[in-house]
Amino acid sequence: MSETAHQDHTEKKAFLVNSSSLKDVRIFCREVFEKIHIQEDLKDELVLAIAEAAQNIVKHAFKNAASPNELMVVQISCENNKLQIAFYDRGTPVDPKKVKHREIDNVKPGGLGTFFIQEIMDAVEFKDGNKPWINHLVLTKQL
Amino acid sequence: MTYKVTEEGDTSTVFLDGEIDMDKTEGAKEIIFPLIDAGKNVNLNLSNVQYMDSSGISVLIESHQKALEKGTKLVIKDVSKSVLKVIMMAKLEQILNLE
Repeated sequence: MSETAHQDHTEKKAFLVNSSSLKDVRIFCREVFEKIHIQEDLKDELVLAIAEAAQNIVKHAFKNAASPNELMVVQISCENNKLQIAFYDRGTPVDPKKVKHREIDNVKPGGLGTFFIQEIMDAVEFKDGNKPWINHLVLTKQL
Repeated sequence: MTYKVTEEGDTSTVFLDGEIDMDKTEGAKEIIFPLIDAGKNVNLNLSNVQYMDSSGISVLIESHQKALEKGTKLVIKDVSKSVLKVIMMAKLEQILNLE
């Protein structure tokens, strides 16, 4: 937790659900974090966590399938130094009990995205997705 | 992502550039894997890679393991500060050959 005052701000953006959008998600996050005045090192970590969550939507909720019209929405909010990042998508419903990372000492490709998210954020919570959304993931961190 | 490969004896040096995410991993594998399959030692220079996510880390693990299987060596060189942080978060700094 830092003692820096961060700018209260909320912004959201929709992205097409495909791997090419991940770069755009990162650009969006960096722009918003500039406005919130988040320091550089933390910004890199937060961008990674958000990009991993977006990647999980592409990879798991949509199983890498081509979904030309499907959108995912990322909303970043900062209020009273509390950062909340919400994701909305209409992919396969996520069973939170099945979301887990691999054992970190069992070195093999894959299974690290969720680990990174959990390492970086204070809380990771799947909420009920209100129509038209199916999945609603919320990541929070006290700045 | 752009890349350059230089050869010296039985060692190939691959210079990757840009941001390595899920969208770029297949391209990275297509560059690295054939060199390992050909029995080359591979130096992977990441000085110009400023961002790498879990997909990119998976390519490093896969390449490292493939090199071990083939009896060659993958050395990761000149890692940028931001990528090193991700490697350390994955607790791989003692597993991968970093120089």
